[in-house]
Amino acid sequence: MTLEWVHPGLLLIFGAWALPLLKGRLKRAAMLLLPGAALAICLALTPGTYGVVSFLGQEVIFGRVDRLSVVFSYVFSLMAFLGMVYALHVEDDSQHVAALTYAGGALGVTFAGDFLSLYVFWELMAISSALLVWQRREASAVAAGFRYLLVHVFGGLILLAGILIHWSQTGSLAFGDMGASYGGLAWTLILVSFLLNAAVPPLGAWLPDAYPEATVTGAVFMTAFTTKSAVYVLIRGYAGTELLVWLGAAMAVYGVVYAVLENDARRLLAYHIVSQVGYMVCGVGIGTALAINGATAHAFAHILYKALLFMGAGAVLQMTGARKLSEMGGLYKTMPVTLGLYMVGAFAISAVPLFSGFVSKSMVISAAGEAHLGPVFLMLTLASAGTFLHTGLKLPYYMFFGEDSGLRGQEPPRNMLVAMGLAAVACVVIGVFPGLLYQLLPNAIEYVPYTLQHVTSTLGMLSFTALGFFLLLRHLDPELTVSLDTDWFYRRGTARFVNLVEGPLARLEYGLVGEIYELVMRRPVLGAAYLLRKLDTVVIDTAAVGVGRSTQTFSRILKTVMSGHAQHYGLIMTAGILALLTLAVLAS
Amino acid sequence: MGSAMSFLQRQIEDPVRLTRIKRWCYVVLAIAALAEVVVSYVLHASHSHFSFEDFPAWGSLYGLVSCVAIILVSKLLGKVWLMRREDYYDS
Repeated sequence: MTLEWVHPGLLLIFGAWALPLLKGRLKRAAMLLLPGAALAICLALTPGTYGVVSFLGQEVIFGRVDRLSVVFSYVFSLMAFLGMVYALHVEDDSQHVAALTYAGGALGVTFAGDFLSLYVFWELMAISSALLVWQRREASAVAAGFRYLLVHVFGGLILLAGILIHWSQTGSLAFGDMGASYGGLAWTLILVSFLLNAAVPPLGAWLPDAYPEATVTGAVFMTAFTTKSAVYVLIRGYAGTELLVWLGAAMAVYGVVYAVLENDARRLLAYHIVSQVGYMVCGVGIGTALAINGATAHAFAHILYKALLFMGAGAVLQMTGARKLSEMGGLYKTMPVTLGLYMVGAFAISAVPLFSGFVSKSMVISAAGEAHLGPVFLMLTLASAGTFLHTGLKLPYYMFFGEDSGLRGQEPPRNMLVAMGLAAVACVVIGVFPGLLYQLLPNAIEYVPYTLQHVTSTLGMLSFTALGFFLLLRHLDPELTVSLDTDWFYRRGTARFVNLVEGPLARLEYGLVGEIYELVMRRPVLGAAYLLRKLDTVVIDTAAVGVGRSTQTFSRILKTVMSGHAQHYGLIMTAGILALLTLAVLAS
Repeated sequence: MGSAMSFLQRQIEDPVRLTRIKRWCYVVLAIAALAEVVVSYVLHASHSHFSFEDFPAWGSLYGLVSCVAIILVSKLLGKVWLMRREDYYDS
């Protein structure tokens, strides 16, 4: 690490540990200064390669700075700053440390030029974000956090396996376009791990499972970093992969379908992350200069408006304790500022002209049009209508208007409103001055979002979506249900597996396996043991007993002689002497 | 902000005003659809990528169809397959 390169991610990761040592105003200053400094560093970066370290004979590159990594680093560090403003009132240092580490990990992934440093930051993000779920400290959050972490550990292991195979095949750990190994095992494994983090179905159920369980402030960070850093690495490695076009388009519709069924406010918004990331994944798959710009611009805009939406839903959760739409209603009377700021985010995600989503989402849809992908174009446009339907109409209707629930939440603390205000300003500035965002995009191409045709057809689509909403309002009343998603396989599927093990498998074990064991193992072993015992009794015992008996007999004989009385010994000695004398007399 | 909210509250809770607002909403819908038709008529050089986009008031039509389709298909999927009692995963 040279002096001209200070890694903004490492600054956040190590700087975070200063927070528990500080108090009061100083701590709050540090909470803002750290992401502020990271943003300043990112803004000052000039393209090049920095922070190259040699490790295991490989070049580990911590700082690949080019147009693509720079634009993602801007929005990640800006988001870290907004998130910390929103969390300023929270008196829980562990949350702040986890959030800054998580943001630092995302910056680390963004600047990683090789798979080794990518992997380290990737795993760091998984662990630190799981902490943001656990720190809500409720039973459902702890369980969801474990599921979240296990899914990401699984994804991390797939990534590691892919990296090792890629390394052994190419001899290089450099991370770039993976097109050269298209269709190979390494290509597939790394792609699967990236798709898992991008929450692409069927690998994406972890997202709507975990995000609504996170802390109010933690969820705001989570909406930004995991999926969008995955979009970044997909752009890096897998631009132009056709599979992604269809996965992305399907994903955009999938999120919308689940959002219809959802009652939990933050889970509804989480399903719309899946839907919005679908546009980005689709753009990566189309792979043209316009599509890549669109995916990047949409990631940038999405991070800001999605954070704003989660901030609004989080404010309602914090001030009323209600998380289900069926418990809310009538809040516009006491939380008008929250409502207004939320609606800015809702208009941005719905791609209303003059808001950020309009200038970013349309790039991806136009790219699909230019590539003559008719079905994709229709699916993405349909998902746009669905986005407005839920985020712009259903959620605000049931949360702020609708039937008065009697809930009277007050406006949230001022720092939360300031964070929402800043995010809202960003959404409008990007929408009104799209050139500010376009000049940052990786490819230098012209794109004009505000054409008469585009504006009128968008306004027509949105207003008639609203008509459809009010016509079918009765069918949209939130219901007290949960929806099956692919997390069923590890939430209930595993329970079924355990039942299988305890029931039929156990019987199989005691029955068939037990019989075979009896036949193959127990009988021969017992037989052998019987024979050995017989040998023992017959040969060894007989020998031992024989020796013992003769010793005993000898001893008994000896005992009669050895009586222990001196007179007997004297008698024997006399008898012996007499016998010797007799022998001597007779021999001579 | 307080006065703005009481203004909003008056509009929503007064049935006469609400009816008036609804009527204006229908006017907006008509204008939106009409604008689409007019714009495509005025602009001879179309930016469309597909022929279906040149259908009169395509955006409005597709928006309405999408919205209705999403609600009905999702609810159907939910009823026959996906939706479970809230304690489904707890039991």
